[in-house]
Amino acid sequence: MLSGLLLHCEGNLLTITGTDLDLAIRVELEVIGIADGSTVVPARLATDIVRSLEPGALTLDTNEDRVDIAAARSHFGIRAYPPMEFPTVSAVGAPTTQLGTQALAEGLRQVVRASSSDDARPLLTGVLLTNYGDTVRMVATDSYRLALRDLAGSSVLAAERDILVPARALAELQRLTTAAGAGDDASVGVASSANEIAFTTANVTISTRLLEGTYPDYRQLIPESYPNQLVVGKESLLAAVRRVRLLVRDNTTPVRLSMRAGGVDLAVKSQDGDASETVDGDYTGEDITIAFNPSYLIDGIDAVLSDEVLIESTDASRPATVRSAEQADFRYLLMPVRVA
Amino acid sequence: MAERPRFGGDEPTICHVDMDAFFASVEVLDHPELKGKPVIVGGTGSRGVVAACTYEARRFGVRSAMAMTRAKQLCPDAIVMPGRFARYQELSALVHEAFHEVTDLVESIGLDEAFLDVAPAIRRLGPPVEIAQGLRRSIWDKTKLVSSVGIGRTKMLAKLASREAKPKATARGVERGRGVVRIAPEDELAFLHPMEIRALWGIGPQTAEKFYAVGIRTVGELASLDAPTIERLVGRSMGPHLLAMANGEDTRVVVPSRELKSIGQEQTFAQDLAEVASVLPYLTEQAERVAHQLRSKGLRARTTTIKVRFSDFTDLTRSSTTEVGIDTGPAIIAVATGLLEKVELRGGIRLFGISCSGFATHDANQLSLFDTNAPSEAATLQETWEPVSGAVDAIRERFGADALSVASHLGRSGTVDALRPERWGPTAPEEST
Repeated sequence: MLSGLLLHCEGNLLTITGTDLDLAIRVELEVIGIADGSTVVPARLATDIVRSLEPGALTLDTNEDRVDIAAARSHFGIRAYPPMEFPTVSAVGAPTTQLGTQALAEGLRQVVRASSSDDARPLLTGVLLTNYGDTVRMVATDSYRLALRDLAGSSVLAAERDILVPARALAELQRLTTAAGAGDDASVGVASSANEIAFTTANVTISTRLLEGTYPDYRQLIPESYPNQLVVGKESLLAAVRRVRLLVRDNTTPVRLSMRAGGVDLAVKSQDGDASETVDGDYTGEDITIAFNPSYLIDGIDAVLSDEVLIESTDASRPATVRSAEQADFRYLLMPVRVA
Repeated sequence: MAERPRFGGDEPTICHVDMDAFFASVEVLDHPELKGKPVIVGGTGSRGVVAACTYEARRFGVRSAMAMTRAKQLCPDAIVMPGRFARYQELSALVHEAFHEVTDLVESIGLDEAFLDVAPAIRRLGPPVEIAQGLRRSIWDKTKLVSSVGIGRTKMLAKLASREAKPKATARGVERGRGVVRIAPEDELAFLHPMEIRALWGIGPQTAEKFYAVGIRTVGELASLDAPTIERLVGRSMGPHLLAMANGEDTRVVVPSRELKSIGQEQTFAQDLAEVASVLPYLTEQAERVAHQLRSKGLRARTTTIKVRFSDFTDLTRSSTTEVGIDTGPAIIAVATGLLEKVELRGGIRLFGISCSGFATHDANQLSLFDTNAPSEAATLQETWEPVSGAVDAIRERFGADALSVASHLGRSGTVDALRPERWGPTAPEEST
């Protein structure tokens, strides 16, 4: 049943629901309803069929264990399943919070990437949503890096507690909000219950089970101050790290950043050879060399939204921060790689 | 297997390069005071096993896979050292560098052994014998370690030739090896036929017994049998293959080792299983095999993935990354069991598999934000079992895959057949690139 889509037509409203029990996505479409009814169709097949049809209107007609899809001169009759067997997707309730779509899309892009994909550490596969002052703060970490974004101007989460949302659901939400490309005033409604959360845009609702457990105390991980500060152009640093990364074939070869007055020297040495590059910038602090996983570093730089990146560091074995030189609402904390 | 167009006509171009007593030689290299002494690398505990030994130790009858207590009886003066995998891997990388300077047709067999087809290099570097001598020199220059090279028209002949090229340890002393031995096409049968049938690939102790029972002991005697007779003895799939090899034929070409992305095992059950306890024996067996594969390729994996197929044929995968690369059964078992325990099995599963990926080849260590001083269970197990695993491999190499097994697998018959997807040994590991 989980590979099926529930189609439900009531009046002129067609609701399409898909779920894997943890995550459910519901889309509402205005249609010309001829008769009310429900059916479950195989998702992949139905999608392939509809996508391949000539542009224009299509008719859906359900009969017990069969659905007929017709458009122009094409006609498909495919096997359907009884809607009774489709898992119930509970309704979380009306949204209690509104988040600006654009800021949310931005924040998701910046934060979701830092979450873990390691199923053995379930808490870290989630993104923490928490009230921070009068903003909503999103936090994700895979224990090697941590991304944090405050959504200013968003109304505060109604719940008085932290919410841990599976990153997988937020990746879907990210796709949805990015695709929406909405105007400044569009917003996403958030509703949550004890164990679920739902995000609603104009016609799509993504609901997911919450992760249970206590998220690690991220606040104590963030250093209060850093002795070393490097400011460089975001695009030139990003391009340089991407270039030297060409020599990295496994995930364990680090890129070394040697920071000194006037900029930073990048170096990679792998079994395929070596690469080095220099990026000009402003540096205050002691001359130091710190090694990072190049992919993690790229994730951080790429998430910064301004033209200049500020890299703050202490030494070769303590976390560094990548953030915008101008804005303080995003931080990307990154642990170095210790090299022998 | 597809025939590759040959460059050298009938000129034998397949080289088998084998490092002489690799682990033990590395220890002597790093501890020059041990030179000329009997050195044994292996488990140092009371139940340890010999993983490798110098030729000086072989003079006393010490062999790899032998119990350490026995080895010490034979050679009480032997210096016993635990293995240092990272160091062997480092030198192995240099050895492989030397291989690739000759040709890209390198089929690597573990850390210290490889087949090279040097046909494409003849125009550039001269006849195979010269190439082999150059290769031995280049390996020496890079590592100060000695290797032996066998050259033959087929992989089997090359492998047997490299054995001929090695130093010989007798009670009187260690005889220097010839270094390079080439089997000319016209000498093949004279070289092969006097050998004991166990020299042929695919003839293990059990198959050998079948031939001994009918009085066949040498390759030449086997070659004189007709095809139906051999097939009656060893079956239809193996018979023609053995006969061809006994006549020096072997169509397998050198397959350049691909860059592996993952190594895995999976198995469909006769009946759906619905409990962790009933999946565990399969999990354990698969983990051991994957671990063995990893070790034989000199790889350590940081990511372990399990795959479960439910009775409705939907698949689910779950993976976990450890802070260190792992290549021992117990470490993989710990990670895979942890993942399996989080899967809802009540509906029944029909297939279970394990694969390992994310091969770590560098010692760089990504630090964690959370100051987790305590290593994970997998890391601890890896550390515990690492020294023993080389010995496990040596025993399996010598006495067959069944010689050692996890105790919980042993049935009343003392075998693990029930878990085997195939009676004739493990299925080929699934490797994906």
